[in-house]
Amino acid sequence: MASIHKLLTGTYIHRNFLKPRAALHPFMGVQFVDYSSGSLQKQVAPGDRASQQRKTEEGVQEGHHKESALDVASLDQRPEVSFDKAIRDEALEHVRRLKDGIVAHCIGPEGRPMQEVIMEQARVIWKFREKEDLEKWMVTSDKTIGGRSEIFLKMAKNNQSALLYGTLSSEAPQDGNSSQSGYCAMISRIRRGVFERKLSYDWSLFNTLYLRVRGDGRPWMVNIKQDTDFLQKKNQIYSYFMFTRGGPYWQEIKIPFSKFFLSSQGRIRDVQSPLVVDKISSIGFTLADKVDGPFFLEIDFIGVFNDPAHTEEFAYENSPALNPGLFK
Amino acid sequence: MSWVQVSLLARGLSRRWGGICRTALLGAPTAQAPRGLHCSAVIHKDDVWLVPRPPEPQKKPIKVPVLHEELFTPSANGEQDKAGFLRAVRSFGEQSVRKRGHVDFIYLALRKMPEFGVERDLSVYNLLLDVFPKEVFRPRNIIQRIFVHYPRQQECGIAVLEQMERHGVMPNTETEFLLTQIFGRISYPMLKFLRMKLWLTRFKNINPYPVPRDLPQDPLDLAKLSLRHMEPDLSAKVTVYQMSLPRDSTGTDATQPHIVGIQSPDQQAALARHNPSKPVYVEGPFPLWLRNTCVYYHILRADLPLPEEEEVEEIPEEWNLYYPMKLDLEYSRGAWDNYEFDLDEVTEGPVFAMCMAGAHDQATLVKWIQGLQETNPTLAQVPVIFRLARSTGELLTTSRLEGQSPPHSPPKGQEEDEALEEQQR
Repeated sequence: MASIHKLLTGTYIHRNFLKPRAALHPFMGVQFVDYSSGSLQKQVAPGDRASQQRKTEEGVQEGHHKESALDVASLDQRPEVSFDKAIRDEALEHVRRLKDGIVAHCIGPEGRPMQEVIMEQARVIWKFREKEDLEKWMVTSDKTIGGRSEIFLKMAKNNQSALLYGTLSSEAPQDGNSSQSGYCAMISRIRRGVFERKLSYDWSLFNTLYLRVRGDGRPWMVNIKQDTDFLQKKNQIYSYFMFTRGGPYWQEIKIPFSKFFLSSQGRIRDVQSPLVVDKISSIGFTLADKVDGPFFLEIDFIGVFNDPAHTEEFAYENSPALNPGLFK
Repeated sequence: MSWVQVSLLARGLSRRWGGICRTALLGAPTAQAPRGLHCSAVIHKDDVWLVPRPPEPQKKPIKVPVLHEELFTPSANGEQDKAGFLRAVRSFGEQSVRKRGHVDFIYLALRKMPEFGVERDLSVYNLLLDVFPKEVFRPRNIIQRIFVHYPRQQECGIAVLEQMERHGVMPNTETEFLLTQIFGRISYPMLKFLRMKLWLTRFKNINPYPVPRDLPQDPLDLAKLSLRHMEPDLSAKVTVYQMSLPRDSTGTDATQPHIVGIQSPDQQAALARHNPSKPVYVEGPFPLWLRNTCVYYHILRADLPLPEEEEVEEIPEEWNLYYPMKLDLEYSRGAWDNYEFDLDEVTEGPVFAMCMAGAHDQATLVKWIQGLQETNPTLAQVPVIFRLARSTGELLTTSRLEGQSPPHSPPKGQEEDEALEEQQR
C-alpha cells in the first residue's frame, strides 16, 4: 500500500535547498531577513548547549515535504512485489478510510465522544507497542546530501518501546557546496484521512509535551510543524531541545509549548511568536550535536498533557534591537 | 550515409518503433529507454541516483598549497599552542600595512584554530577580527547600506562569528566595538552579533543535566562524575573498589583497571529484600556520552518479580504512637481531574547498582560484585549471571507492562548469555 502511494505521488524528488536568498529590503535600513547566499556554507545544526542557534533544516524539511523520502524503517522489511494485491489493498484502504471518516464524524472529534475529548487532560499521541506503530515514523539522515550518518528505527526488546540508533558522522559531503554536515532525524508521517487528505492534530486543550525516553546523554532537538493546507508555512518549524540524561533509568521530559521557538529554513527567526497548537501536522527528533559516534534513543511513548502549574504564555520576547519595526 | 550513421539510425528506429530488430551492430545493452533518433550514442545511466554517493575514502584529498600557510607551521619544538597562533596572526599584520589577502588569511586561521587548541578562546577571536582593516568597510551612505557593502569581507566576519558560536564562545564588548569599527553598526556581522547576544544568553542554562566543559582527564574522576550524572538519587554513594596503578609504577602484574560503583540507599534496601532464589544480572557495557567523550557503564539488575510474589509491607497500626505512619487523606482535586496517561508505562526490573570500570571483562566485574558484597551481605546468596554484550548496543532488558505476566524466557539477543553462576563463599 505504501509502495502504491509512492508511485502515485511521484517519489524521490530532490529539491535544491539553500536557494540564494539575499533578501534585502531597500528602504528599511536594519530590517534584514534571512541573509543566506549561495556562496555561504550550508547551515549546520549546533549541538553545544550554548550555541544551539541554528540547525540543519534541509534534511528535516526534505523529510517533511516528501513523506516518501528515503526511509529505512526497519531492516527486516521485505517489500511485496505483487502489483494486483497492492492495488486491491490500496482500494480497500481507501474504502475503509471513507467509512471510518463518516463514522468518526458522527461520533465526535477524531472518532471519540465529545465529552471524553473535552474532559481529557492527558493524551497519548504516539506509542510504540507494535510494529505498526513504527510505520507512522520515518527516519532521515544526511545521507540525502551525501553525508555518512546512518540511522535506523526498530522495536526494542520485548516490543515495549522503539529504539532509534545509528551513527552520526559530521564529515561534510564533497560536493563543493557544503562545508558542514551531520544530522539524523526521525519524523512522524502525516496522517492521511478520507481521499488522502492530510489530517492534523488539535492539541489546544493541552499545554505541555510529554516524552518518556531513555537516551545516552546526547542532546536532541524536538521539532513541531504546523499544518500547511491553507497557509503557506512550509519552512517554518518550532523547536526546542531535549537533553537526555543517559543511564538505565527512564526519563520523563516535559516541554511546554510556550518554550518552542520559531525558525525557518534553518535559522532562528528574529520575530518570535508562540506556537499555536490547534493544527499540528508532525513532530520530529533531530540529532546534530557535531560529535561523531554511535547513538541510541529509546522511546516509550509521546503524549501531551495539560500542566495546570504552567502559566507562561511565551518564553521569548522580541527585542527592539533586532526588530525596531515592532516597537514603533 | 556512412556506416556509423546507418547504424545509429537503425538503432534509433528499432527502439523507437519498439522493433524487434535489435541489431548487434554496436552491442548496445538491452535495458534502455526509447530515445529519439538524435540522441548521442553514448550510453549513460538512466537510473536516478537517489543518494549522491559519498566519495571513496581511499582517495586522499589533493593538497593545495595555501598562501600564508607557512606562518602556521609548528615552532621549533613542535608544539602548537596559543603563543604560536598569535605569533602567526601578528606576523601577517607585520608583513604589510595593506593586509592584502586578509580574507583568505582569516579563513585559513579559522581552519587552523582547532590544531592549535584555541577555538574556545575569545581573545584569539578578537585578535583575528583585528586583522581586518578598520573603517574601510563601513557603509557611508544609503546606497552602500542597501547593497551589501564589501560582501566577501562581511561573509568572512560572519564566518568568524559562526565559528565562535559553534564552539560556544560568547562575544564581549570588545568584539562589538571591533565589529562596529570594521563593518559599522548596520551590517550583517553586527546583526549576527546581536542575534548571538540574544540567543546564546537565552539558551545558556537550559540543560537540566549540565556537564562541565572541561571534563577531568583522570579516568577515575571522570567515572565518578558520570556516575553522579546518571544517578538521580542524590543520596547515592560513590565507592571506589579498585584504583588503577599509577603510570610510573614498574609492577609486572597485569594491569589493574579502576572500578567505581554507585548505589543509593533505596537500591541497597531493595537488594536486601531481593529473593535469593532469583538471579541478578550484570549487564553492559552501555554507552554514555558526556559532551564528546563516550564512557561505558555496567548495571546490576534483576527481573521484575511476579505479581503474585510482590508483597505489600503491612505496618501495624500501633507501631508508632506519636504520629500516624500512613495517612489516607483525600486532599486531591475532584474526580474530574485525571493527569494520568491511559497507557501502561514500560516497567522494568529494579536496578541495584551501577559501575564503571577500566576493563569490560568478567574478571573486573567479579571484583565489583565482591566489593558490593561488603555493603550488601545478601548478595552472597544470590546467583549472579553475567550478560556482557559483545557490541555496545541498546539496553537489553526484561520488561513488561504493568498488569501482565512476565515473559517466561529471558530475552536472548545480541548478548552472549554466559550463564556462569557465581556461588559465593
